[in-house]
Amino acid sequence: MSGMRSYYISRIVVAVGFGALFFLGGAPWWQAALVALAVIAWFWWAPRSGRYQVNPELGMTPLRRDERSQGINDTAGRNAFIVVMLVTGATAVYAGLTGSTQVPVRALNWLLILGVVVYYGSDFWLRRRGR
Amino acid sequence: MPVKNHVREARQAASLTQEALAAQVGVTRQSIIAIEQGKYGPSVKLALELAAALGVRVEDLFELEGGRERGSR
Repeated sequence: MSGMRSYYISRIVVAVGFGALFFLGGAPWWQAALVALAVIAWFWWAPRSGRYQVNPELGMTPLRRDERSQGINDTAGRNAFIVVMLVTGATAVYAGLTGSTQVPVRALNWLLILGVVVYYGSDFWLRRRGR
Repeated sequence: MPVKNHVREARQAASLTQEALAAQVGVTRQSIIAIEQGKYGPSVKLALELAAALGVRVEDLFELEGGRERGSR
C-alpha cells in the first residue's frame, strides 16, 4: 500500500466531513465521531479487500473496479432501483386506498435505507454465488 | 452450456500466484478466484489476456463442458 498517502489524507478529510455533517445535523459529538471512524475504517479496508484494483500512481483515486466488480455493481444498483420503485408504488397505492393524503417523511428515510440494504445484499449475494 | 476452465492448472504450471496473475491482466484477486472456481465467466478480452499471461492458447484455458469435438459441425 505504498504511495497511497494522498488517498488516505483525502479520505480522512472526507470522513471528518461526514462526521461534521452529522454533528451539524444535530447528532451528539460521539455519534458524529463514530460515523467518522466508520468511514475511515471503510476507506482503510477498501484497498485491502481484494474488490478493487489498486493503482497508487492514480493519486487520490487509486481504486478501480474490474469487469466482474463493475457487473456486480450494475446488477446490485438495478436491483435496488427496482425494489425502491416497486415499494414507492405500493406505498402510493396503499395511501390511495386508505385515503391518506400525506406520506410521512420517515417513510422516505426507510425507502432510502431499503435501497441501501438491497444494494449491499445483492452485492454480497452475487459475490458469493458467483456471477 | 457451462464453460469449464483450466486457469488454476495453467497458473500453477506458470508458477504464478493468484495475485500476480491478477496484476498481470489488470483484475482483482477475487476475480481470478471466481474464474478458477467457475463462478465467473470472463469476457473474451479477459480470456485472451489470461491466455497471453499464462502463455497458452485461449482454447486450452476454456472449453464448453460436454461441447462438440473440435472441427465437427
